[in-house]
Amino acid sequence: MSGSPVVISASGNTALRVVSTLPDPEAGWRLVHHLARFVDEALVPGVVCVIPTYDAALVEIDPAEVSLERLADYLRRVVEELDHDRPLTERPRTFDVPVLYDTEGELDLAMVAAAQGIGIDEVIRLHSGPTYVVRCLGSPGGSPMLDGPAFPRPVPRLASPRAHVPQGVVSVAGRQATITPAAAPGGWPLIGRTPLTVLDLAAEPFVPYEPGDLIRFRAIGRDAYEALLGDRMAAR
Amino acid sequence: MTAGILRVLEAGSTQVTDLGRRRGPRFGVPVGGALDQRSARVANILVGNAESEPLLEVTALDLEFVCDIDVLIAVTGADAHVTVDGVGRPAGQPVSVRAGQTVALREIQGGLRAYVAVRGSFEVPRLLGSCAPDSVLGFGGRLDAGSTLPLRQATAPVFNDHFSAELYSLDVPRLPSGFVVDVTDGPDIDDFGDTSSRLFEQPYLVTPKSNHIGLRMTGPLPERLTAGEVLSRGVPVGAVEVPPGDELLVLHRGRGVTAGYPVLAVVTAGSLDVLAQVRPGQRLRFRRVSAADAAARARADLVELDALRSRVRSVFSALDALANATTGRTLL
Repeated sequence: MSGSPVVISASGNTALRVVSTLPDPEAGWRLVHHLARFVDEALVPGVVCVIPTYDAALVEIDPAEVSLERLADYLRRVVEELDHDRPLTERPRTFDVPVLYDTEGELDLAMVAAAQGIGIDEVIRLHSGPTYVVRCLGSPGGSPMLDGPAFPRPVPRLASPRAHVPQGVVSVAGRQATITPAAAPGGWPLIGRTPLTVLDLAAEPFVPYEPGDLIRFRAIGRDAYEALLGDRMAAR
Repeated sequence: MTAGILRVLEAGSTQVTDLGRRRGPRFGVPVGGALDQRSARVANILVGNAESEPLLEVTALDLEFVCDIDVLIAVTGADAHVTVDGVGRPAGQPVSVRAGQTVALREIQGGLRAYVAVRGSFEVPRLLGSCAPDSVLGFGGRLDAGSTLPLRQATAPVFNDHFSAELYSLDVPRLPSGFVVDVTDGPDIDDFGDTSSRLFEQPYLVTPKSNHIGLRMTGPLPERLTAGEVLSRGVPVGAVEVPPGDELLVLHRGRGVTAGYPVLAVVTAGSLDVLAQVRPGQRLRFRRVSAADAAARARADLVELDALRSRVRSVFSALDALANATTGRTLL
């Protein structure tokens, strides 16, 4: 359909992938998240769940209840009505995240710096410089998915993923960055760790941020890390 | 709310689960839940529960438990030798168990996972509306010998005094036998060019690294012909991927919700239940089907389950009538 701000295609027999075609990635990101919220709140029959990410949303369906074609038509009409200029969050909260960067060679910081052709200090400067928008919540366990720092080039994923990545590590891959709230296997290079506890299973949702909130990283030393260890991540 | 206690005597590899955490994926949490959804639904239907009620998922190893109240249970999924106080009882049927009797599931075979539903279900913690375990978040988990589960409801036993012959035999739809796994084309099939057809050429061998997150298998690997880092995006349950290495990866319900690998094909909902029953060391074949055929199959499965639900309702009301009739044989 010409003029539609999205392309909708099947992702197997039980999901649709809705991808923004808007030239502005910010508008595309807002669009797919507005769509996800709308579909969630409207309780559309046959929709199992919606996973909005950066420029796309995956809509999982129960094929016994609705066909992919019918749902695609419906979503196209919904998208026409959505205002992709409207901010996702009226008042974004800012989370200050202290990071003990990997200057002692325990993790992958040196490897990341070498692959970029820049120094370790420069990697830290580029990573802790910007204020990041939480683009979406990803795996594992509600990881805040962020745009990557302004590195010269995309960061390659590890050739062999780690079987165990501890909670609290700060990592980068491709043009993305994140914090890992819960221990899990992972293939992203790790550049540091925060002493803060991100996950709180007694809260709902169990991570404190949501898409549209802001995250800032701040370099700290070993003493500050030890002093802050176990504190809950909270908005400033 | 608690009417009694189920006490685990021998836990094997058993966990409390349900049909999954539908609200999880948008928070970056996999949907999880019973890997063989159909068997889980059937177990709950057989005891008159809502299909989404918590039940036990028993993987490969023996389970033994005792309840301190009378209960009605049903065992489905992989074939298991079910006994109550040592007496063989049928799987795939509602079975009355008296307070203090020991229920055992042994020799699970012909599949990997069995399901045990109890009428009234259990009182268990939930996260985002589901009791399904999530190993990454550290929510829920395996039961141990000595674990207890609060039961919500006692069910007066229904027994036939004549040699304990079964009172009813419900026609329970079974999974197709043989490990044929239906897939539809994935969104990124073009990334694999002509090599995508390798998926259908020969059987794949399931390796021991397989689990609820995904099954890994060896066989002729399609090759990704494109390169470059892809932005993380939602990946459907059932996605067939070719990660670096020498194995094919098929994601199941425990999969991370976002990933950056291209998706070659997607397993149909019904065939995800087949995958849930495949053991490491077994071989399976992929079969390409259209999305329309997959949807028709899903609707037919739903009709079968609806029919079973109404048969169960008929049996329960007939038994109630027998038990209450003044001239009828007592069933207690």
